Amino acid sequence: MIQELVRMQNINKYYGRIHALRDVSLTVNTHEVVGLLGDNGAGKSTLIKVLSGAVPMTSGQIYVKGKEVQMKSTTDAIANGIETIYQDSALVPQLSIARNLFLGREPVKGARLFNRLDHDAMNEVARTLLKRVGITKDIPPTTPIGALSGGERQAVAIARAMHFESNLIILDEPTNNLGVAETQGVLRFVREVRDTGHSCIFIAHNIHHVFQVVDRIVVMRGGKIVADNIDPKKSTIEEVERVITGEHLIEALGLDHG
Amino acid sequence: MDNRSFVQRFIAKPEFGPLVLLILEIAIFWSINPDFLSPLNISNTLAFTVELGLIALAMTLLMTSGEFDLSVGSVFGLSAVVMWTVFNTGLAPLPVAFLIAIGLAMLIGFVNGWFVTRLAIPSFLVTLGMLLIARGSALYITDGFPQRTWNAEDQWLAQVLVGEFYVGGFRVYMSLLWFVLFAFLAHYVLTQTKAGNWIQASGGNPNAARARGVNVRRTKVLLFMTSSAMAAFAGIISSIRTSAANPNSGTSYELEVIAMVVIGGTVLTGGRGTIIGTVIGIFILRIMRNGIVMVGVPGLAYNIFIGAIILAMMALHSWLERRHNAGT
Ligand SMILES: Nc1ncnc2c1ncn2[C@@H]1O[C@H](COP(=O)(O)OP(=O)(O)OP(=O)(O)O)[C@@H](O)[C@H]1O
Ligand SMILES: [Mg+2]
Repeated sequence: MIQELVRMQNINKYYGRIHALRDVSLTVNTHEVVGLLGDNGAGKSTLIKVLSGAVPMTSGQIYVKGKEVQMKSTTDAIANGIETIYQDSALVPQLSIARNLFLGREPVKGARLFNRLDHDAMNEVARTLLKRVGITKDIPPTTPIGALSGGERQAVAIARAMHFESNLIILDEPTNNLGVAETQGVLRFVREVRDTGHSCIFIAHNIHHVFQVVDRIVVMRGGKIVADNIDPKKSTIEEVERVITGEHLIEALGLDHG
Repeated sequence: MDNRSFVQRFIAKPEFGPLVLLILEIAIFWSINPDFLSPLNISNTLAFTVELGLIALAMTLLMTSGEFDLSVGSVFGLSAVVMWTVFNTGLAPLPVAFLIAIGLAMLIGFVNGWFVTRLAIPSFLVTLGMLLIARGSALYITDGFPQRTWNAEDQWLAQVLVGEFYVGGFRVYMSLLWFVLFAFLAHYVLTQTKAGNWIQASGGNPNAARARGVNVRRTKVLLFMTSSAMAAFAGIISSIRTSAANPNSGTSYELEVIAMVVIGGTVLTGGRGTIIGTVIGIFILRIMRNGIVMVGVPGLAYNIFIGAIILAMMALHSWLERRHNAGT
């Protein structure tokens, strides 16, 4: 049942002379939520940008379901079932929720020549999807994205990824700048994402949030993966924090005088 | 959000401000000079209106996609010159000359679109360059002299484009019907079709649109071509109506057309556009031009009024926008 979904192998990324990713290899399985942790500048965003086609890697391979793929653009990634959700950049603020959900894959009716939008179908699906991602407030699907809160926008983006059967949904610091209730909402979508059979990479600085939703923790430091199989059920937050900062190494070498 | 009354929602629409202004304008001119609403004056106003109006419809779609076209005034002049030069020199019959002129305009639009989307040069600069090239070509072809068009009378094409007929006491030009047809078509495309969704997305957030598989480049190039073709169509209609293909005609139309579009509520930066607003904007400006002369204000003062309307409308739209954002 559990299979390998995405495998990144020996990824290197240079930004000019900065070596941002050093021989990184990471596998994400089906039905798995992976928490990616690391200090500022560890390379987390760079890694998922490479995976989502937003920046080109310098060397390495990416496999999706065992087949090597080229991620030249975000379109390539989406076509391979990998969807990255940023706070709002993936949505068009002027367009309605329903129009955003179906952008690029609009259902049409009537004569082919005119490609008339099937508004009824779009609104209907939008309403059901909004409920599924836990928006219980009655927001009409015709509301423009610009009128939604940051958390609601992410809910729409997640709803879209779920509807179009993305296999892997990537969330880079989705809880930044969110209120308490909205943060709980986002954590709920992440669980919903796994329960409906998708995989997820979840990046956040708040380790408590990560502990609440992920199946496995991966830690990056200085462009390398330093731990890739921490079970949140068997570890404490303090232990993970020490891996992130590298203190556990200092302790192991007996250099810790504190 | 749904429980706001119908009136409240109507007032919040971007078309509401322009509509009030239009009604005010008509009421003021009419109260000063009752002839303002005479059948003769109405049909005269309509005849001028549709020529700029046709361009404004296409410009609305282009501006919704986040671009604009300064070369429309020059293409307006050049196309009529090309069509009549081809016809008068006996190179081709009128319908073929018409197709050549429209084809040339579409090529110009394609070049505009190619420079903007492939070389990522702002449309301001690209279409400014094209403005000069098109105007210069029109002047060069004609040595600066108007082309004669008086043998248009017995051509069926001329009748189809600008033939006139009477409805009651109103003289109506065929061009009005073309305008109505294109207005409905543009409104339908923008609000009801997949293409309309792509146009709005291309202007609103091109990166997001591209990531979803929307072909932003092709959408914009096609809109540049539509804009040029519409300018050519309008220029040809104008040349037949006024019996002159003047290489200088259409000068500074681009600014008036863009003014019509933004007054109607379409935003210069793209993402949101309204054909209904544009139609209202077209009438606001053309009625102003006609009305101030009829009430005895010197025609030379026209630009003062237009400038004031643009500033007032922009202030209103920005106020509505801020109020809207604050309310959510
Ligand atoms: N566009 C860029 N050009 C040059 N250097 C970059 C660029 N983007 C990131 N870097 C560098 O690459 C390294 C990794 O950055 P990255 O954004 O991946 O870190 P991160 O783990 O996401 O950090 P944070 O937690 O602060 O978001 C950093 O040293 C950063 O300065
Ligand atoms: Mg980051």
